Amino acid sequence: MKRILRLFDAFETEYVEPYKSSWIKAKLKRQDDLRAVAEALKEEGLRSLVTVSPTDFPDESRMEMNYFFEDLQTKRNCWLKCDIPRTPDQCRIDSLTPLFAGADWSEREAFSMFGVDFADHPDLRPIIVSQDFYGKAPFRKDFDWEAHEADTLNHLKTIVNDFEKEQQNSDANLDPDGSETVLNWGPTHPASGPIRLKVHCDGEEVIGIDPDIGYVWRALEHLVTQKDFIGAIVAVERLCFMDNINSMVGYCMAVEEIAEIQITPFAAWMRVLLGETARISSHMMGLGGFFNMMGLHTLAMWNMDVREFFLDFLESYSGARIATAAIEPGGVRYGLQSNMLDELQKALDKFDATKEDIRSIFVKNPTMKLRAGTLGILTTDMIEQYALCGPVARAGGVRTDIRLDEPYAAYSEVEMAYITQETGTAKDRFTQLFNELEQSVDIIKQAKKRIEAGIADGEFNPTKDHMVKVPKKLPKGEAISRVEWARGEVLMHLVTEEKAKSPYRLKMKAPSFNHTMMLDHLLRGQTLSDIPLVFGSLYICQGDLDR
Amino acid sequence: MELLFNIIVFPGLLYLLLWTVALFWFFRKFMAPLHKRVGPHFNGPAGSYQTLFDLSKLLSKESITPRHVNPYLFSLMPLLAVIIAALPTALIPWTPGITVVPSDYGLLGLVVLIGIEPFLLFLTGFGSHNKYAFLGGIRVLTQMISMETAFFLAALSPALLFGTLNLQTIVHTSGWVSFLVLLPGFTLYFIALLGLLEQPPFNIPDAEQEIVYGFYTEYSGTNYFLLKLAEFAEFMALFAGAATLFLGGYRGLFFDGYLWLFVKMLAIAVFMMILRASTPRITMRQMLRFSWRYLVPLSLLNTAWVLLAKIYFFGGAQ
Repeated sequence: MKRILRLFDAFETEYVEPYKSSWIKAKLKRQDDLRAVAEALKEEGLRSLVTVSPTDFPDESRMEMNYFFEDLQTKRNCWLKCDIPRTPDQCRIDSLTPLFAGADWSEREAFSMFGVDFADHPDLRPIIVSQDFYGKAPFRKDFDWEAHEADTLNHLKTIVNDFEKEQQNSDANLDPDGSETVLNWGPTHPASGPIRLKVHCDGEEVIGIDPDIGYVWRALEHLVTQKDFIGAIVAVERLCFMDNINSMVGYCMAVEEIAEIQITPFAAWMRVLLGETARISSHMMGLGGFFNMMGLHTLAMWNMDVREFFLDFLESYSGARIATAAIEPGGVRYGLQSNMLDELQKALDKFDATKEDIRSIFVKNPTMKLRAGTLGILTTDMIEQYALCGPVARAGGVRTDIRLDEPYAAYSEVEMAYITQETGTAKDRFTQLFNELEQSVDIIKQAKKRIEAGIADGEFNPTKDHMVKVPKKLPKGEAISRVEWARGEVLMHLVTEEKAKSPYRLKMKAPSFNHTMMLDHLLRGQTLSDIPLVFGSLYICQGDLDR
Repeated sequence: MELLFNIIVFPGLLYLLLWTVALFWFFRKFMAPLHKRVGPHFNGPAGSYQTLFDLSKLLSKESITPRHVNPYLFSLMPLLAVIIAALPTALIPWTPGITVVPSDYGLLGLVVLIGIEPFLLFLTGFGSHNKYAFLGGIRVLTQMISMETAFFLAALSPALLFGTLNLQTIVHTSGWVSFLVLLPGFTLYFIALLGLLEQPPFNIPDAEQEIVYGFYTEYSGTNYFLLKLAEFAEFMALFAGAATLFLGGYRGLFFDGYLWLFVKMLAIAVFMMILRASTPRITMRQMLRFSWRYLVPLSLLNTAWVLLAKIYFFGGAQ
């Protein structure tokens, strides 16, 4: 850490300070230094640029750029800021994509949402947004949504026309006598979900893939700023409904940090308990989806059967099975009654009863090994370069898990270890998910035991301890929080104004965004049959891909 | 009169429709518990009307012919596919009494008619003017070429053993010893059958997650119904072929009759369904490798084995 601090001596900074246990927070005075600093950080070992998050301050007429660098090996991280002018023609900064391949889409997103121009970016096209938003920067504070609504009508035809032109172009550019073609794999393809992969292929062989995303863009990061701090959780949990709990935990941690409050140990344990339940519910779908992609629906059905029991627990706790809205700044939303834990016990029993069947039929399936055993290999180098995270990174042998790297809630008291695979193939990613299911069940058992013991000896009061009061208005501040979400690391960057009733800016870095970037690298030279398998193994959810 | 009955009722049109509806229902109902589901439930006893309703719904739906396709090719192929797929029923000895077209070359006819079918399916994909349908059509052809060598060799092993192409004679002369001799042939036939019927792990031509619905993609309404009917007629031809060639057809314990043939066909269907519930799809390359590297050499070996068995156990050629 000291080496990173010292590294900033060579540059003019407004401040350099340690932040939390594993971060250095620094602000550069001159934006021209950015690339040199990034290069120095990369040499120091911080090889992953997780995301780029601009914050718009129209009153001070500046755009504040936030860069989050991580070192997945030694867990040293750096939060780098610098100001750039916000007038459209001067809103320009050096691109970091040549240094950090993973910054590619993040910078394209900043370009589409805030109109930041990145010099030297190899492929600065708009991403996520549709044609009616091109050149408009919808996330800037002075963006006129009403004028945009009125203007939308003018663009109704643009999308259709552009699509048709694109189809004609792709046909015209290819040899009419050859066997090359461009397939639209999605957005209404049986296995794609709302994403379109433009698959350039020669017969069955894939030449290149260009993902077109944004079909479920709900502008959640903007929506949050229209709600109060509690209301915002319903936007945050819609990052992806499979694991809604952990994304809310991340947001609430950021709010609590700004409000400077501590949640009770009981609430912390409840966050662990609920979070792992949601993780199981997500992994169950992920495992099933993997086999669905190979045309076998049995595992998905079997997993649904088990998953229902875990959803029963969420329902008994929060009243909802999927979108629970169960975590709130200050703790967890509801108290705990003993019959709720009985529901959880039923789910755990069901899991233990079916686990070995699933392992013997599906995890050890010879046909699955034949297909996925050598496919879609992610090396450690690629994982660091593209800032991949979660089960996908761990399956490639990288020991990264926010629950252990930067323990939150009550994870510091949980006994757990890194689970990793070695080779990073599609099969490893599948096995990884299955092993993590077992780990999650183990954590739930620990949390349940701890909560029951706490209630028994009067340490926890399950009907009162779940919540501490959070003021409605928050002071001016800024915080980042990281949680290990089901699909990987979610980084929340929250900015508030003085006496704020709602967030000023919330950046949610979600794992699928970086993972989808890998499709092109993994599938070049493979066949059409491998697209769904690799897609499924990367555990992508369009919810957090588009936000 | 009898011929008319054969064509319209058994083993002709009505039987084919009933078979389609019943087998479709059976597939769904049998698959459901393997998936931990209930399956068709509300319409009729155990949901048995469900497929009837589904098929009649398809018949009454609008049949859409996309722009830019040749409408004759597009709509003729499903019809041809049904007819070709249904013709083998005429050659199969259903009961000791009923063989619609008794012939000394029954087996040859059966094998040829089954062999034509994938080519028609390729033409449906080819005529659909759709990238996914075309890819599906190409996949059908590729699979047909690699599977049919093994299929023909396996299907002809009983003919070698018994020295006849007459299906009735094959059924008559089969017994426990011939069943054991033909067991490797039956295994090969079954594997090739999975390939020809596009069943997992060889459901490559209509791999939903890869190429949408293969050659079916553009079909709807009546045309789709006809293609489904052709698929189930093909099931019938191949199951009945397997039962006739290797399992002694209508012959059984205590009495001979259609029931035994039906039970044998159903047993093959059940085995196929269990595979479907537990085996993911393999890729095109893996299928090609499997077929040419293992299946075809093995079926050649099987031919040698049948010839040897004929010489040593059955007293050689007459």
